[in-house]
Amino acid sequence: MKENLMDIICCPLDKHDLELDVTERDDEEILAGTLTCTECGETYPIEDGIPNLLPPDMRDEAPA
Amino acid sequence: MAVQDKSRARLFYKYLSKVYDQINPFIWTEEMRAQALGLLDIEDGDRVLDVGCGTGFGTEGILQHTGNVHGLDQSVHQMEKAWAKLGKHDPVRFYRGDAQRLPFKDDTFDVVWSSGSIEYWPDPVEALAECRRVTEPGGQVLIVGPNYPSRAIFQKLADAFMLFYDAEEADRMFSEAGFEEFRHVTMGPSYSPEVAITTVAEVPE
Repeated sequence: MKENLMDIICCPLDKHDLELDVTERDDEEILAGTLTCTECGETYPIEDGIPNLLPPDMRDEAPA
Repeated sequence: MAVQDKSRARLFYKYLSKVYDQINPFIWTEEMRAQALGLLDIEDGDRVLDVGCGTGFGTEGILQHTGNVHGLDQSVHQMEKAWAKLGKHDPVRFYRGDAQRLPFKDDTFDVVWSSGSIEYWPDPVEALAECRRVTEPGGQVLIVGPNYPSRAIFQKLADAFMLFYDAEEADRMFSEAGFEEFRHVTMGPSYSPEVAITTVAEVPE
């Protein structure tokens, strides 16, 4: 995902801002990392460059 | 919809994605897609979200109108088809997410589009309200769903597997989701002209 998407995405549960933690990136894309809600603390993974913003109750049932 | 029905819907997606683009042209054609896009007012540069983008058939049509397109789906199985056609990171931004709990801030998009997804939403009113929330006031939300079939045998199938709806039911859903101005258009191929119901709603100021 592009870093500027931080301007539009939010926690799907309470709609608060997310904090980005990058573990792998190339010139254009964030390839791996996490997005953590600044309010509820829920963490969402970035998997192969795609932010997985499914609420946690759906994440396990729909494997990547 | 009960939890077991939600997981059944997900299993259904997983297998449906394998054949979806082959069977899709019979119920949702390029002509119907162009007709639906014609109901919208998309200018180049407008931000458009495709909710339940799936294999990217609608997304591909939207890209002909603007370069700022975002696709969201719960299923990677479906989106892998879209990535093969359109690329994974450019020009479309893809996300995994739930239509009923959209991971976008208020007023993020000029247009929200969803084709062939509403019939799988366990609570369509909640998802429609989310589409309204993430669209800027004055913007448009367009939903393409399957119209309730007129033949009894298909009605039984429809009731057993998915949520089909008619214009009256669409009125109720859009009103409950907080829309005031909307209209429905039925569309389909010549042999079945009312196979899909498309609703265009304006987001209240």
